[in-house]
Amino acid sequence: MKFQDVAKTSVEALKRNKTRSILTMLGIIIGIASVILLMSLGQSAQNLILNQVQGTGSNLIFVIPGGTDKGSRFSSPASVQGIVIKTLIQDDLDALKREPTIAKASAEVRGQAKIVYQNNDSTVTFDGTNADFFSIRNFTIARGAAFTDSDLNSFNRVAVLGSEISKTLFGELDPIGKTIRLKDVSFRVVGVLDAKGLGPFGIDQDNLVLVPITVAQRQMLGINYFNVITVEASDAYTIDFTKARIISVLRQDHRITDPHKDDFTIRTQEDALALLGNITSIMKLFLISIACISLIVGGIGIMNIMLVSVVERTREIGLRKAVGATNNDILQQFLFEAVMLTFAGGVIGIVIGSGLSVLAYVVLSKLVSTGWTLSLPISAVILAAGVSSLIGLVFGIYPARKAAIANPIDSLRYE
Amino acid sequence: MISVKNLAKEYLVDETATKALRGISFDIDEGEFVAVMGPSGSGKSTLLHILSFLDRPTVGSYTFLGKSIQDLSDQELAHIRNQEMGFIFQAFNLLSRSSVYQNVEIPLLYSDLPVRERRPRILSAVASVGLSEKLGTEAGRLSGGQKQRVAIARALVNEPAIVFADEPTGNLDSESGGEVMEIFEKLHNQGRTIVLVTHETYTSEFARRLIRLKDGLIEVDEPIVKRHRHLNGEKLFK
Repeated sequence: MKFQDVAKTSVEALKRNKTRSILTMLGIIIGIASVILLMSLGQSAQNLILNQVQGTGSNLIFVIPGGTDKGSRFSSPASVQGIVIKTLIQDDLDALKREPTIAKASAEVRGQAKIVYQNNDSTVTFDGTNADFFSIRNFTIARGAAFTDSDLNSFNRVAVLGSEISKTLFGELDPIGKTIRLKDVSFRVVGVLDAKGLGPFGIDQDNLVLVPITVAQRQMLGINYFNVITVEASDAYTIDFTKARIISVLRQDHRITDPHKDDFTIRTQEDALALLGNITSIMKLFLISIACISLIVGGIGIMNIMLVSVVERTREIGLRKAVGATNNDILQQFLFEAVMLTFAGGVIGIVIGSGLSVLAYVVLSKLVSTGWTLSLPISAVILAAGVSSLIGLVFGIYPARKAAIANPIDSLRYE
Repeated sequence: MISVKNLAKEYLVDETATKALRGISFDIDEGEFVAVMGPSGSGKSTLLHILSFLDRPTVGSYTFLGKSIQDLSDQELAHIRNQEMGFIFQAFNLLSRSSVYQNVEIPLLYSDLPVRERRPRILSAVASVGLSEKLGTEAGRLSGGQKQRVAIARALVNEPAIVFADEPTGNLDSESGGEVMEIFEKLHNQGRTIVLVTHETYTSEFARRLIRLKDGLIEVDEPIVKRHRHLNGEKLFK
């Protein structure tokens, strides 16, 4: 039997039962639309998160106090797990700044505190840092100015506010020059940051308050160590070399001879991207797995209806065999019908899923976050079309085989 | 054309062997019009199924156009059924929601005939049964007689060497039955070989030879002498 005849016969059979064909396709339509929508949402979320990491700066290397399991690229240093480690100090920062491939370096201490301006207050995350932090982390100033190294050296109690906390405290007032209280210490506001949105790991960078690290260490936290040192390599090609130099310098300064006993951990932006890429990929996989369940249910629906169809059309099968159809001809016809149903369902599902993805983009970009992009991966579309056809093949083979091996005499007698 | 020697067929029904045919022999020549008759359970349907390659004998030999059924694969049998045999059933077996054209086209879908040659064949077959004006009509909307005529057109479309008809008038009123038998008469006159299975004596009288089966054996194999060729179908069936 020629392929065009198989196709023609199958299409005619499906057209004879339009309503049933459409209802049968519904399961596949919903399944494929879900896969497209969830893949699109997953990809958009991944893009958003990775863009946030990339937006923190370029060629960045993070030095975190505490060692990690050397076998794993992704294991957390002890400090990240909430253990106070005091190994990174000003001498380390000074030593790193002397390295020729390090363009800039800044240290950070972090805490949470109540911030008050007149009758307005809020709880914020504050970052004690130095002047280079602004350029290293791409924080730009909307109003006023950033604090300087001389502010650090003079222990000046000056603060730069995130755009949101500025609005919360001052509303429409100009905050520059005003005095706020942060953890019961008075600060003069010298600058307000541009809106930056969520940072990596969900930190709201617009509710951040930046103060000189010297003030934060001595007057607010009473410590002399750092939570993290951020290093900017001179260019992308020197990152690996710089990383090696940081390890060498810190081991020397910390008198570490056994590499397994490092009291610091180095992470690059690439590590963070890989880690987040892994997390978001797992999230995507999870979402797609859920959608796949509906596809399997749809496939079982196809098999069910095809089995009913085979029984209903027993006499037709008998007739076709009597007039010369081979088992293979019958198998091809019923299999093609199943694939046609799922492929057509897949195409409709792709169209609906794409429409819903656009709708989700419009809603989410307005409601949830700036930086949400529309992602409609072509791989998802091809995958959906392929998977839907495959479902037709897999779930259509049993009914088609049942039809193919039917005895023509019994089939012709079937009532 | 057909040569049957010591043909027997045994079925297992509830683990009990049932002999439907017990060793029969006969020949059918090209152009013959043979009626196979017999009471229920005599083996006439089994014989028709074996003759039409829908079933294989348990023992004995069957040769059709010089080819022995024992030597042919299922695929080859299907090909011969398509090319050399036409089938007409009591229940018509039409696709009721397909058009007359689509129904008649079915055997051509499994043939080697080029697609462009299909339409003239279908038009000619439908014209030969007088249904040219019903070409686009759904088969389900036709009368019983018209349905059987479509089935005859379907049987003829591949220009087969032989036509097998299984109780072709069983579901028809006398007038339609008469019209259908008139077509068989015409086909025979054109030289077509016809094997007709029936339990109706008046239908069998259109044939020229009678094979009567009883308990799986041939009871009678003789020419039909008392025939009503002077009567038209309507009178005969009344």
